[in-house]
Amino acid sequence: MAQEKLLLLKNIRTKGYAADLAAYRAAGGYKALEKVLGKSQGGMTPAQVTEAVKASGLRGRGGAGFPCGLKWTFMPADPKDKPNYLICNGDESEPGTFKDHYLLMNDPHLFLEGMILGCYALSCHHGYIYIRGESMYLIHRVRKAIDELYAEKLLGSNILGSGFDLDLTVHPGAGAYICGEETALLDSLEGKRGQPRFKPPFPAQAGFNGCPTTVNNVETLANVPFIINNGPEAFAKLGTEGNSGTQLVSISGHVQKPGVYEVEMGHNLKSLIEDFGGGVRGGLKLKAIIPGGASSPIMRPESIDIPYDFDSVMKAGSMRGSGALMVFDEDTSIIELANRTIRFFNHESCGQCTPCREGTFWLKNLIRDFVDNAGSEELMQRVDRVAGSILGNTICAFGDAAGAPMQAFGRVFPEEFRKHFLR
Amino acid sequence: MAKVAFNDEAMREVETLFSRYPKKINALLPLLHLAQRENEGWLPPGWDTYLAKLCGTTVNHVRGVVTFYNMFRTVKPGRHHIMVCNCLPCGVTGGGALLEHLEHKLGIHPGNTTEDGLFSLEEAQCLAACDQAPVMMVNEDLRKKVTFDEVDAWIKQTRSSGE
Ligand SMILES: Cc1cc2nc3c(=O)[nH]c(=O)nc-3n(C[C@H](O)[C@H](O)[C@H](O)COP(=O)(O)O)c2cc1C
Ligand code: FES
Repeated sequence: MAQEKLLLLKNIRTKGYAADLAAYRAAGGYKALEKVLGKSQGGMTPAQVTEAVKASGLRGRGGAGFPCGLKWTFMPADPKDKPNYLICNGDESEPGTFKDHYLLMNDPHLFLEGMILGCYALSCHHGYIYIRGESMYLIHRVRKAIDELYAEKLLGSNILGSGFDLDLTVHPGAGAYICGEETALLDSLEGKRGQPRFKPPFPAQAGFNGCPTTVNNVETLANVPFIINNGPEAFAKLGTEGNSGTQLVSISGHVQKPGVYEVEMGHNLKSLIEDFGGGVRGGLKLKAIIPGGASSPIMRPESIDIPYDFDSVMKAGSMRGSGALMVFDEDTSIIELANRTIRFFNHESCGQCTPCREGTFWLKNLIRDFVDNAGSEELMQRVDRVAGSILGNTICAFGDAAGAPMQAFGRVFPEEFRKHFLR
Repeated sequence: MAKVAFNDEAMREVETLFSRYPKKINALLPLLHLAQRENEGWLPPGWDTYLAKLCGTTVNHVRGVVTFYNMFRTVKPGRHHIMVCNCLPCGVTGGGALLEHLEHKLGIHPGNTTEDGLFSLEEAQCLAACDQAPVMMVNEDLRKKVTFDEVDAWIKQTRSSGE
């Protein structure tokens, strides 16, 4: 029986863990911060922290899998006239994803330690944590943990006598999936409509209020304390080639035991469903999975005996994305999934780019025809064409996130569309 | 008509918010949340102008922001604003059925408020709690693995107490 590989969830899996500052410290927490900022072990420079993260091979867990350390090197090393910012992306609105909420709710200090280390590495003195507005319970939770840090002087000025000053602020979103896209998030943080920006300039050149900015996912940052404590090699040793470390996988849908599980990068996808998810519930057969959030193309059971990491899932024609594994049993209607998916993207399109705004609208209407059993071969091709016309033609990656899965439903399950042809 | 301004206590929160951002306008989203909290969950007429002045921007900018985000409301919601998740994984594991049940029980479609002003209903996108399906948010409270019995009892009790 496969076991979890616990790096981020070690505390959470410990019975009776209180998740407050005292408990986190008792479990060895804030040791990495002491190693970096404290005097006793000689300390580390910001460049050394960045170097360690780079050497670990840590890739962003927000969806795109961009190398974290490399991204950090894009920031000015010695900010003079403009401050540097590190912003944590805790928007977590990708359907099927709930691992960041799980981590923040049950062990906020693990993330906060990573956030503080990240701020230090980027010479940032005010970091923001963007959390979606619907999750007020989570916003309160993280604010409380931050208050504990101020009270213990682990935030504020001259942390651990190092001369490093840092403030952290939780910023609430207000119900818009697009604000998970990093440049939309920056506009939202500035007090604007959350509409993605043209790139370049990239956030590292002109981000929050025009200042150099890095945006990182919650889970990405939560990995940093381990890397500092155990060295980059210990992290790089885990996982598969080019996909190091562990990963939090959100398993949902028709499984017996939905939830968040931590496994090494590259853990077998089928085993995730069977050994952790407990298999399809009710003794039913597996019909389909969506491996990485609503933006990732659907897959058939025949093609899921693969390692679950960024590169392997990509090679199999889909995406690991945010690690949101959705499982569907034999009674599921693929047309229903397509309908739910397109209704989501149409609702959440920010409306800025015509191909996305109009494309998602027409796709919604087209899929509606199949729901009403009025489909046809021609309409099926039209779905493919309209979805294809969004791809690559928008300011941000939302267009691809909407178009690619909509093309996949018909490509992977054509027979399911045919069941809904007009007779 | 109620006064369009924060009271002293809320004003102290406003000052704290301003101190956390380089520019006043950056605090607009948290300010709008605060304004809604002070006004039974919505932004009555006049608040857009008031907030625009407070953070030094135009009323058009504030209106643009208010209309962009789902959570900002210019219509008064019910005392209990219910958001039922009917997204991908929830939708196929009980979310759809829960939404239908609530529509039936409350006699309203999503986007509406019951005549007594007690309940308003909204169809939500993924609330990041898919493993707890079906889920619904009642104001700030996330309710997990919701059963029909539990919902029925809560509605009945709320109706009889009138609050
Ligand atoms: C439409 C859209 C939605 C996104 N939503 C999220 C999100 O909710 N959380 C997140 O961390 N990244 C999200 N991303 C990815 C971010 O743009 C960005 O790549 C990420 O936050 C960078 O952090 P990382 O490098 O640590 O992964 C989204 C991207 C797009 C295009
Ligand atoms: S789909 Fe309902 S919480 Fe995610």
